[in-house]
Amino acid sequence: MIKTALIVDDSPTMRQMVAFTLTNAGFNVLEAEDGKDAVTKVAGGPKINIVVTDLNMPKMDGISLIKELRKMAAFKFTPILMLTTESAADKKQAGKDAGATGWIVKPFNPEVMLKIIAKILPA
Amino acid sequence: MSNDFSQFQEAFFEEAGDHLAIVEEGLLALEQHPDDLDLLNKIFRSAHSIKGTSGMFGFNAVAQFTHKMETLLDLLRNGQKVVTLEIADLLLKSTDCLKTLIDAAKTGSPVDGDTVQRLTVELATASNTKVEASAPPSTPLPLTPNLSRCFHIAWTPPEWLFQRGLDPLQIFKELANLGTLSQVAVDTSKLPELVAMDPEKCYLAWTMKLETVKDRQVVDAVFEFVREDSKLVIEERESLSVKREAPESGRECEAFESGTKTASRETSAVDGAEPKPLGEILVESGIVSRETLDHALAQQKRVGQILIEQHAATPQQVEQALQKQKQQESASQSKKTDTASIRVDTAKIDKLINLVGELVITQSMLSDLGSRFEMSQISVLLERMAQLERNTREIQERVMGIRMLPIGTAFSRFPRLVRDLSAKAGKKIQLVLSGEETELDKTVIESIGDPLIHLVRNSADHGLEPPEERLDNNKPELGTIRLNAFHEGGNICITVEDDGRGLNRDKILAKAVKQGLIAENEKLSDDQIWPLIFKPGFSTAEKVTDVSGRGVGMDVVKRNIEGLGGTVSIKTALGKGTVFTLKLPLTLAIIEGMTVRVGKDTYIVPLLSILESIQPKAEVMKTVIGKGELINVRSTYLPMMRLYDVFCLQPEYTDPTKAILLILETEGERVAVMVDEILGQQQVVIKSMEQNFRKVAGVAGATILGDGTVGFILDVRGLLEMSRQSMLVAA
Repeated sequence: MIKTALIVDDSPTMRQMVAFTLTNAGFNVLEAEDGKDAVTKVAGGPKINIVVTDLNMPKMDGISLIKELRKMAAFKFTPILMLTTESAADKKQAGKDAGATGWIVKPFNPEVMLKIIAKILPA
Repeated sequence: MSNDFSQFQEAFFEEAGDHLAIVEEGLLALEQHPDDLDLLNKIFRSAHSIKGTSGMFGFNAVAQFTHKMETLLDLLRNGQKVVTLEIADLLLKSTDCLKTLIDAAKTGSPVDGDTVQRLTVELATASNTKVEASAPPSTPLPLTPNLSRCFHIAWTPPEWLFQRGLDPLQIFKELANLGTLSQVAVDTSKLPELVAMDPEKCYLAWTMKLETVKDRQVVDAVFEFVREDSKLVIEERESLSVKREAPESGRECEAFESGTKTASRETSAVDGAEPKPLGEILVESGIVSRETLDHALAQQKRVGQILIEQHAATPQQVEQALQKQKQQESASQSKKTDTASIRVDTAKIDKLINLVGELVITQSMLSDLGSRFEMSQISVLLERMAQLERNTREIQERVMGIRMLPIGTAFSRFPRLVRDLSAKAGKKIQLVLSGEETELDKTVIESIGDPLIHLVRNSADHGLEPPEERLDNNKPELGTIRLNAFHEGGNICITVEDDGRGLNRDKILAKAVKQGLIAENEKLSDDQIWPLIFKPGFSTAEKVTDVSGRGVGMDVVKRNIEGLGGTVSIKTALGKGTVFTLKLPLTLAIIEGMTVRVGKDTYIVPLLSILESIQPKAEVMKTVIGKGELINVRSTYLPMMRLYDVFCLQPEYTDPTKAILLILETEGERVAVMVDEILGQQQVVIKSMEQNFRKVAGVAGATILGDGTVGFILDVRGLLEMSRQSMLVAA
């Protein structure tokens, strides 16, 4: 079955790159430009198998988005990966506390990203 | 695989440009509202975005520098630091520096390493952090022989494991992929009574044995996302290598992160990072000191010099070769920047698709009508044709619209410029922008940047008076520069207005006489005097300042604007101010042209360059040896060119008194061009000669005329050159 990934990032370039990586790996992708946009798009949208979200975003940041998603029944156990920069160690903890499954460090390599996803996404 | 992202580079540069603009604008606004947290957050996010994305392409210099800026911004937004004028200034300078770094990444243009280093230190000082001398390369993972190792693992995950989307099964699968997993035992002692059990919690713990050839770090990495919150003991037993301690909690993710680092290093290697120079390696390994290396390098000669000393080449030959190298470099650079992209509002595209749909409908209606046409339906046919014309015109307008951008993008750099200028010149200046939403062609926007900067600088430096002088003249201390853009007819007008001292008629006249531009007793009207400031080398500023006054600028402004098919005009009142008005075509792809006929051929003359058309009398014609044919137009002698001579045509008239003379002007020079007849005025779409055929002297481009034939557009500048050369030949 084709899996759907939700990609949330305010940088269109970054979003395109993540989408490109995941599409090549056979995912369906749904893109959102910030947390608010993501919340709107998942409501009544397709079933999301994995979420990849940036943390620093306008309107609703990644941490709040993760908290919002975890409140929804459909996202209770969905793997959520946050895109962080190496320096943001405190952000990593905040993300985990909010319910993030794991993290991908920017800049990332497509192979590494796919490896991490394979690690947490049940086949 | 790592190279796949290169296709997104162009998008990154565009995005980075936007972010830089946001940062700069934000910083300027921050000076007015230092406590605006939203603003700080916005600036921070943009910087953060540049940092994150630039790293993806291996632009490490950009990423590292932005990181320094981001650190300071983070302190500001957390309230640990207060926005002071110094900090705002430093951040603005850093933004400029970042711009050059990004440009360098884009085109390979040189970067002032000293500035980068200095600002890096300043940023670090402002953030109270130490600068680590360019991050030490992470030590590569130690190579270990392919020995089978045996790990005993005891893992007690946190109860909320599932609630973070984690699945223990995934971990077992990953471990099993590394080698042979055996003796897996589950500890169910924590499992509560069924009634007390929360199905969303994890009560289990496991012990297992893993035999693998993989390294310890690889095994650690499996538990990366859970290690900190689990009780985890991984012990290596029965192996030949030294027994290691269980990881401390502080060491989490180390293995994983060094893995990513290696990966990103590989990326940059693929992207063309060069191996270190020999000297660097020698210094690093401590064989020679930095000073010895620098000394040795200073003695190194360039290859050209060596060749000259060996008499293998003359200095001139080497110089020529260097010139050639420079040309090739700049050529390859311009090639790099050639691929430009444009971002278009989706609404514009949707509308376009809609219109194309209508066009298709009209077309099918017409072909239906054509297949069973009767004369009685002629009115229907005409109606359909009108519809087709409407569709076509609208599509044309919309497609043009795609290239249209609001001029605000060209204006956005001015608040910063004026701020710096006012600080430098010691004047108080406010900038008022209006009409930012006015749209014009992207190419035009890109080309008017420099002329506008010249004009604004000119206004700030020459136009506006120092504060004391303004107060003496009963003017507010604060000088105003206004930038306005608006549509007028088929053109766009941009005005640069200041409320300064205005142009000084006598000063300009005196200077012009001194420079021999006009005769001393010449009587000139105001409208003839003001354009004198556009003459090359003209400057009335009493002192040459850092900002302007070196006499370069105004002539360049005029040349650039005319190069775009536009005009510059001046309105001024002594003591009240000056207004420069730039009038530009909306687009460069279409020009307003006058169609003229020579024999059987049709040519198009750009309307903007036509001053007048006359039918001369015989007595105004003169042939001067060494100057060719001249014609006296109101006591000014202009060179005359017979267009049929230039293009070797068969004309209807060879006698100028029967033909028509067009007086053309470009960049202040005039020429009279002889044609048979003026046909009319129309808009023409310019098709490039170079792309479709080859460059032809005197022809700027071609177009398809109403009857389907090709018409050539005259290149007025080129014609002037040709007339000058023919004079030389005649002489």
